[in-house]
Amino acid sequence: MFDLIEKYWNAEWEPAMVFELFNQGLTLGVGFTAILAALGVVACSSPIYSALYLIGHMVCLALLFLLYNAEFIAAVQVVVYAGAVMILFLFIIALLGAKKEDLKLTDITFEKFLAGSFVGTLFCELLMTLAVGETRPPKGEITQEVLQQVGSAKAIGLTLFSKHLIPFELASALLLVATVGIICLAKFQIPKIRRRSE
Amino acid sequence: MGTTFILFVSASIFSIGAVGFLIRKNPLVMFMCVELMLNAVNLVLVGYSNILQAMDGQVFALIIMTVAAAEVVVGLAIILTIFRTRHELNVDHIDVLKG
Repeated sequence: MFDLIEKYWNAEWEPAMVFELFNQGLTLGVGFTAILAALGVVACSSPIYSALYLIGHMVCLALLFLLYNAEFIAAVQVVVYAGAVMILFLFIIALLGAKKEDLKLTDITFEKFLAGSFVGTLFCELLMTLAVGETRPPKGEITQEVLQQVGSAKAIGLTLFSKHLIPFELASALLLVATVGIICLAKFQIPKIRRRSE
Repeated sequence: MGTTFILFVSASIFSIGAVGFLIRKNPLVMFMCVELMLNAVNLVLVGYSNILQAMDGQVFALIIMTVAAAEVVVGLAIILTIFRTRHELNVDHIDVLKG
């Protein structure tokens, strides 16, 4: 970190360098905004606020994808996730009524303690991957120049329909199964059941 | 920066999603937390696809998005069915499959 600051401190300012610094700052800001929005999803007691925070989070992730040269994935993220999936969530919330959950985040019950310790351990284990660093130099064919020539969508399409054809077909089968499942759930009458507590 | 930043952000989002899934009682919010975890994985895939200069990560991110969309649609239909039969939404009270 400090050598990076020193590098920028002593450098002569050229447009390319300013652009790189701006790029890194933008990445940092958008990344931390995504983390804050994720916290908002968990900490809001009303599901409608959680959904709105989740939309913000997904837009932040789409911006990050743009910064990582993945325009097509960014567009799909906005259209599919922030568009279709979140609209579905908001419809369901509107249909079921957005009842507030009395979320007592401050008083720690045993279950919350258990959940926190489990996830804390998980987080530490995930952070251990930071210590590994880069194991091999990048040597792929899709460099940034190639990507600028053919475009992100075409590059993805070429890989998807040549190298990963079977996962693609399996995904189509999955969508079909989901459609059939939805029709079964929506069409057949479910008999009214007794409420257990009464 | 590079891989460190991607891994840190992704680990944070995944952990936040996991803790939300464990402590929240509303099944809709639990689904949103699952979405958070899937998004964290997508971020790693796309970031590493950029660093390793190969498209496989982005292809897999696309397939994860398909799976997430299918999962959300089926899950929300199940939640709707449960609400129609029970008139409440609290995962602690839904503990028997038979009515």
